[in-house]
Amino acid sequence: MRRGSGAWLLAPALVILLGAFVLPVAMMVPTSVHRYVPLIGITGDLTATYYTRLLTDSYYLEIIGRTLALGLTVTLATLVIGYPVAFFLARTPSRWRNWLTILIVFPLLLNLVVRTFGWIALLAQNGLVNQALRALGLVDSPVKLLFNFPGLLIAMTHIFLPFMVLVLIGAISNIPRDVEDAARVLGASWGSAFWRITLPLSAPGILSGSILVFVLTISALVTPRLLGGPTYQVMSTLIYDEFLQRLNWPAGSAEALLLTIMVLALVYLSGRLARRTGASA
Amino acid sequence: MTAARLRGWLLRAWVALVVAFLMLPVVVVALASLSRTSYLTVPPRGLTLHWFTVVLADPEYLQAIGGSLLLAAVATVGALGTGVAASFALVRRRVPGAGLIGALLNAPLVFPAVVVGVALLQFFALVHLNGSFVGLALAHVVITVPYVVRAVTATLQGIDPELEHAARVLGASGPTAFFTVTLPLIRPGVAAGALFAFIVSFDNVPVSIFLLGAGQMTLPVKIFTAIEYGVDPSIAAISTMLIVLTGLGLAVAERWVGFHRFV
Repeated sequence: MRRGSGAWLLAPALVILLGAFVLPVAMMVPTSVHRYVPLIGITGDLTATYYTRLLTDSYYLEIIGRTLALGLTVTLATLVIGYPVAFFLARTPSRWRNWLTILIVFPLLLNLVVRTFGWIALLAQNGLVNQALRALGLVDSPVKLLFNFPGLLIAMTHIFLPFMVLVLIGAISNIPRDVEDAARVLGASWGSAFWRITLPLSAPGILSGSILVFVLTISALVTPRLLGGPTYQVMSTLIYDEFLQRLNWPAGSAEALLLTIMVLALVYLSGRLARRTGASA
Repeated sequence: MTAARLRGWLLRAWVALVVAFLMLPVVVVALASLSRTSYLTVPPRGLTLHWFTVVLADPEYLQAIGGSLLLAAVATVGALGTGVAASFALVRRRVPGAGLIGALLNAPLVFPAVVVGVALLQFFALVHLNGSFVGLALAHVVITVPYVVRAVTATLQGIDPELEHAARVLGASGPTAFFTVTLPLIRPGVAAGALFAFIVSFDNVPVSIFLLGAGQMTLPVKIFTAIEYGVDPSIAAISTMLIVLTGLGLAVAERWVGFHRFV
């Protein structure tokens, strides 16, 4: 190990990250406490109004609540759908495993706008899902699946499922098969060995996968914008409109900082939780 | 053991269903691009490649494709240059505050991209970089560098530092030892990091959309605004081209560096 040259090797990356990431985000703090007057712009008056209205006005509370509800339901859906898939891929000796993993990764690498566009074709009034529902005789008139919660839930579950599966594969592969076999030898049924041994041992993966999917869901812009339109807002689309449509940068900064605080707090808490469970194990 | 076999088959059926669910929008987009109708419809009515020629003759799409390729290439080179050096320093040098620096380098992975976008919109306006290619490229280095750092750090940790030591003892300078011994050894990690960086940059909307100046366009932002304007089969056609290219790229990457090891 040498000292000295490490600083020079780190300098370019650090300068870019501090200058084009940390500083610009920090500079939204002063912006967020200045009053914006339409047609005039950002004034010198100091105000906390953009924060208080986020936490008291029912319009903003509904958007924040919707964002969090979406994060929670998408996380649960990806966990329930993804866990068996990850379990299979972590345990199977099949030679197809690598190519199955590639099939799970493929949507992740495909352009997000393209995937979202696919869901527009699927969920529209005359889309494939409604055609199928009518052909099966399940509904008489088209079900509304765009510009509402179910549409966003379905599409975002699809978009974030690969993240959950990949994190869980890692966690489940790390569990030694021996402990499960030991439980079976000692007389536990498969179900009881799974619920009492495998599932608890994969808890760290469940935690980090859930935090990742939750954070990505509440931060997502493209899918909520294209499937929710300008009327069915979440926090990120609200920020988008504040900056590009209403040009109210102080309000947008306050909303962006609230979203940032929510994300950082979650990542920090999950880190502490992971350390605590890791230490006790 | 019939219960175990039943479980095995149920599990396989579930995996097949989930893979089908993951592929569903991809297939739907590809089918929609072939329709003769001027509106979006699945299954397609009639078969035609007309919409592909429409897209490839559209100067706006061609400009957007060029803009995206150039931006992704510049961002990847920037992320590789800064990211490989930083990874090397973090793994092989004793750096004060290494934990904090590592966390900072990885922060853009979980940080809301839309916040990065609006923060840079304001910041670049103040430092007169708004609407500039330099600003856009810097922003893309910020969002791509974590992928390089992650892939390269993981590979570097698996390489014996004694190999580089041996080269130094035999008289090679620091840079020579790095470029002739260490770099070839970590090439799979560098290749995977570069691929991730390129894809992440090429894919990005939530940062680019706030920073594009007049006369600048990227492909995903172009498709994004086209969808907001109204969907038609030409969007499905350009999407299908991206599906095919992504699929080919992934297959090549898997054969070349065993891509699945890096995800």
